[in-house]
Amino acid sequence: MMKIYFELNGEPVYTEIKPGEMLLDLLRRLGMKSVKEGCRTGECGACTVLLDGKPIRSCLTFAAKAKGHRITTLEGLGTPEDPHPLQEAFLEAGAVQCGFCTPGMILVAYHLLSHNPDPSPDEVRAAISGNLCRCTGYVKIVDAVLTAARWKREGKWRKER
Amino acid sequence: MAIKRYHYARDVEEALSLLLAYEGRGALVAGGVDVARGLPGEIEGLIDITAAGLSGISREGGRLVVGATATLEGIRTSREVKAYMGGFLSEVMGHVATLSLRNMATLGGAVVSAHPWADIPTALIALGAEAVWRNEERTERAPVEELYARPFRAIFRRAVLTEIRLPAWDGAFAFEKLSRNAGDIALVNCACGLGLDAEGKIAWARVAVGATPYRAERLVAVEELLAGEVPSEALWEEAGHRAAAEARVGDDMRASAEWRRAVIPVIVRRALERAGRAVMGDR
Amino acid sequence: MAERKVIGKPVRKVDGIPLATGQPVFTLDVDLPGAAVGKVLHSPHAHAEIVRIDTSRAEELPGVLCVLHHGNVPRIPYTTAGQGWPEPSPYDSFLFDRKVRFVGDRVAAVAAESEEIADEALRLIEVEYRVLPAVLDPEGATAPGAPVIHDEEDARGIHDPQRNIAAAIDIRVGEIERGFSESDVVVETTCEFPYVQHVPLEPHCVIAYLDEEDRLVIRTSTQVPFHVRRIVARALGLPLSRIRVIKPRIGGGFGTKQEIILEDVAAALALRTRRPVVMKYTREEEFVAARTRHPMKVRVKLGAKKDGKLHAIEMDVLSNTGAYGTHSLTVLSNVGSKTLPLYNKAPHIWFHGKAVYTNLPVAGAYRGYGATQGYFALEVAIDELAEKLGIDPLELRLKNHIRAGETSPIFEKIGEGREGKAQVIRSCALEECIREGAKRIGWSEKRGKRLRDGPWVHGVGMAIAMQGSGITDIDMGAATIMMNEDGTFRLLVGATDLGTGSDTILAQIAAETLGVPVEAISVYSSDTDFTPFDTGAYASSTTYVSGNAVLLAARKVREEILRVASGILGEPPGELELRDGRVVSTRTGKGVPFAEVGHRAMYVTDQRHIIASASFVPPESPPPFAAFFAEVAVDVETGRVRVVKFVGVADCGTPIHPRLAEGQLEGAIVQGIGHALYEEMLLSKRGGVRNPNLFDYRIPTAADVPDIEVVLIPSEEPTGPYGAKSIAEVGINGPAPAIANAIYDAVGVRLYRIPFTPDRVLSGICSPAVLK
Ligand SMILES: Cc1cc2nc3c(=O)[nH]c(=O)nc-3n(C[C@H](O)[C@H](O)[C@H](O)COP(=O)(O)OP(=O)(O)OC[C@H]3O[C@@H](n4cnc5c(N)ncnc54)[C@H](O)[C@@H]3O)c2cc1C
Ligand code: FES
Ligand code: FES
Repeated sequence: MMKIYFELNGEPVYTEIKPGEMLLDLLRRLGMKSVKEGCRTGECGACTVLLDGKPIRSCLTFAAKAKGHRITTLEGLGTPEDPHPLQEAFLEAGAVQCGFCTPGMILVAYHLLSHNPDPSPDEVRAAISGNLCRCTGYVKIVDAVLTAARWKREGKWRKER
Repeated sequence: MAIKRYHYARDVEEALSLLLAYEGRGALVAGGVDVARGLPGEIEGLIDITAAGLSGISREGGRLVVGATATLEGIRTSREVKAYMGGFLSEVMGHVATLSLRNMATLGGAVVSAHPWADIPTALIALGAEAVWRNEERTERAPVEELYARPFRAIFRRAVLTEIRLPAWDGAFAFEKLSRNAGDIALVNCACGLGLDAEGKIAWARVAVGATPYRAERLVAVEELLAGEVPSEALWEEAGHRAAAEARVGDDMRASAEWRRAVIPVIVRRALERAGRAVMGDR
Repeated sequence: MAERKVIGKPVRKVDGIPLATGQPVFTLDVDLPGAAVGKVLHSPHAHAEIVRIDTSRAEELPGVLCVLHHGNVPRIPYTTAGQGWPEPSPYDSFLFDRKVRFVGDRVAAVAAESEEIADEALRLIEVEYRVLPAVLDPEGATAPGAPVIHDEEDARGIHDPQRNIAAAIDIRVGEIERGFSESDVVVETTCEFPYVQHVPLEPHCVIAYLDEEDRLVIRTSTQVPFHVRRIVARALGLPLSRIRVIKPRIGGGFGTKQEIILEDVAAALALRTRRPVVMKYTREEEFVAARTRHPMKVRVKLGAKKDGKLHAIEMDVLSNTGAYGTHSLTVLSNVGSKTLPLYNKAPHIWFHGKAVYTNLPVAGAYRGYGATQGYFALEVAIDELAEKLGIDPLELRLKNHIRAGETSPIFEKIGEGREGKAQVIRSCALEECIREGAKRIGWSEKRGKRLRDGPWVHGVGMAIAMQGSGITDIDMGAATIMMNEDGTFRLLVGATDLGTGSDTILAQIAAETLGVPVEAISVYSSDTDFTPFDTGAYASSTTYVSGNAVLLAARKVREEILRVASGILGEPPGELELRDGRVVSTRTGKGVPFAEVGHRAMYVTDQRHIIASASFVPPESPPPFAAFFAEVAVDVETGRVRVVKFVGVADCGTPIHPRLAEGQLEGAIVQGIGHALYEEMLLSKRGGVRNPNLFDYRIPTAADVPDIEVVLIPSEEPTGPYGAKSIAEVGINGPAPAIANAIYDAVGVRLYRIPFTPDRVLSGICSPAVLK
């Protein structure tokens, strides 16, 4: 066992990990159940989290790599009482079917919009193309991201955390 | 997984001494993408080298020097890389996997894993990239192409790859990849480059084909065929057919040898065409 | 028709916020204290007898809680198919058997303190196999001398075990030979569907535990909680009353979760260890040992008169059910029953086929359920027929497809593993769907033009399809609605929301009927202890079957509310109506809020809970219809195919929630595009899956399907709740044939086997026939 310190959704975490443990398992163990396991081999994107603001696959990332870094999971974006505009946009567009891909999708979308507030539909498709969704056919997910981008440009994202 | 310890190496020396101390039971971890996917049972110690000061990207004259732990996405978006050979390497990285993998995966990991189906080795071989590594005795270097002709996996069980050096070329490169769908690995790929002399004839040419399904190889006969000729559609066509004849091609579950042989002329022609256009555009 | 306030409106999904904010609502998102991990040992052989199994070393490993195998569990034949009663699938499965029948078959299972220990225990189980000759080719399965896969004596319901025939069908209408001899033009086509898989993002998973009353609780990712309860009770010899099955939110199903894959083992391990047991399949296990679509060869022969009227249709099916016969008969039946009525003008029909056992992965239910395989062949054959007749394939379809007020003899001939029931089509907007789709794709401008853009040559193709809405006289949905004293309602349904949004749709139906906004209805679903029965989410049944049950229950509750309100307002119920959360007198306009009604009923006068239940069994199964148009571009130098644009236009009756309905159609279309272009489970010579991962089993990404356009053309289905029919499955039937036909339009290559890989397309383009 080893101890690491990192920041999880803005809160400091000092925790024991197994040296060969994957970040996916650590985060779920810490209660971040939005981090989903769809393949464990880096192909589906369900386990996506942000490391220092950039999307990574937590199933192929050793937990030890979180040491000293900032990790953001979907829990860190919004809550049921106070959902993030992207979460609102996903619901409004009908982009959530089973919802299993949704956490990863929203996080990559969040990353996209953080550096490209006005993406074209093709840019959105490219950005989310590493995250598989078997339910929606992606149409409404793309709509949702475009809607959220518009809201952001219109200043409707107000207090971002 | 029987991992007992995870080390964070602060520099190459520490990484190397840890690696040697484990005597085969330790593994270097860069992005860790491949280590995580296929960790051999005997490994007990993981040695993370991402904080060992090997992530730099710099220009030295026309040359580009990329640290072994530079991430693929870092390379793709680097200004130095975009300025090198018309952004060729940046374009290649855009073909590799997907953003959230590129944010972790490193160039060194790609070079050492050297998946036969990968794109990066094809590009590096065409570019004449040189690998630099440190072992117990000294710093060694060799062209990536030569490295692959040696038992390189054994080398890197006792050495740390530190950087990849990419030479300056007066000309242009282009990359082509055929795959099943977006985000897929290559069913076959190629990287081609050429430069022109003062008379507009081809001064040099580089042609590499990969994922055939074997690891990338340079097709010297095709390069020789091109050298000294005047660029033309017919020449690209001829070079493509020559490439198909020269390349070692096989079947795997992803595609048949027959199909690969049929499309190599097409992708080589397309790459040469684009490289040719870029060179002439420069003039 | 009164103005609808909730039906047809894009209300927020009732489970939307928890899903969008990543709340712990899926099966494995709860951590039970003391939970053990269950794992399955899979067979490395396609066909073998277990001569000896020694689990002692595994059992001695510290942390191992128990090991189960054929030697220490009761032997009870059952089917893993979660279907209604009587069960149409053969009882050919056992918790563990002495024989293994495919690579991946269940040999043993362990429960241990951790995953690592469980994995280690699996390695320590010693199994001695006597390897048997295997059937690795469906064509050879019935040949004399072929190894018999189900030679066990206690299996039941197998059509012909000695010849490896799990199920067979033979249906005749008219005189087929005469039909063809009277036809002016005849075409014959054989199309092949390989092994493809559902790939829900969430693999199968389950937690089984004993509760404080020592009852077995199974929290599982399933489409059929009530069938899970019944089948697990049978498989383990438990009283049904001792089992509770809970379906939380689930990460997609598409049919693969209409099956008992892990619940039986997890339950057995939990009972044996008296510990909670968590089980989940890895993605690899999902490919190897879950379920697939039935691979099929479908031969279609069509005869038509010169004017394009279809005169005779023969459909001959060879279905490969793999090692077990789950869904073998019903999927086989659906190949014809959901396709042939579409072209109801042909007086002569012969539909015949069989589902054979092989020592290959096990097929099961998959969205489209046989119809998808049938339509691939049928709609390619129609395209060929049109060409031969010199008629636009669109016109040919318009000339022949079924219309409202018409029927087909097939409805009566083929049912769910037995005879069907006559049915007249009451709603059908297929013609409008075809015309609208043609407009949107640019059918007349693009067809036959072979527009070129560099090496890319464009073409367009189309297909039409129908499905059903539930299973006539077999499916059953029930609903309970109770009023709270604050005037809100609780809706309890057995129906199973797989992400499809059915909880939301059922809430809408209740809300509309009760005159309240959806927010006034809270839904609880799919818990065998607390919700009424429902056969489950399959056969496109939920909106229609469970929706009708909710409608009936809501009407009963409405009656009760009116009665109570009548006491308050002093007016007869006939003069009152429900509007905006109040009961209002149509005469005086005076009203009373529901809160007062609820409060009074519960606490004040004539006290009782306003609550009602209703069940609905569909007396018919109204088909939704759809037209599909693909524009593809083919790289003639490499054989790569891109779908440039795909248009799907569907008639699902009244869309209760148009956005959710569109989502069903879009999702189904993209799955269909995946089948058409990328997906195939490759098998080794020994019967194993060579690409059991998403690295080499490619499914579409967002970047692969740029332009999907779906349109809903409403019709009013008189038997449906608020005019609704189903939408979940029909969309998957179109892409393969539409894309095949578009490729033909682009490059003149007819492809009869999916997926249309660059390899296959290019070899088609390079064939002498095409190069000419
Ligand atoms: C899903 C997926 C898709 C992919 N798609 C593509 C693609 O389209 N095209 C393509 O080209 N590639 C592709 N790849 C391969 C990818 O480029 C490599 O997996 C990645 O670059 C490995 O980098 P890493 O830093 O994670 O390596 P690691 O996993 O950290 O290391 C890989 C190996 O190299 C050793 N190693 C790492 N760094 C050093 C060093 N400095 N010195 C000595 N030894 C070292 C490790 O010990 C290990 O054996 C894909 C991979 C995955 C998982
Ligand atoms: S679980 Fe990590 S990519 Fe699928
Ligand atoms: S909504 Fe189910 S996988 Fe995307």
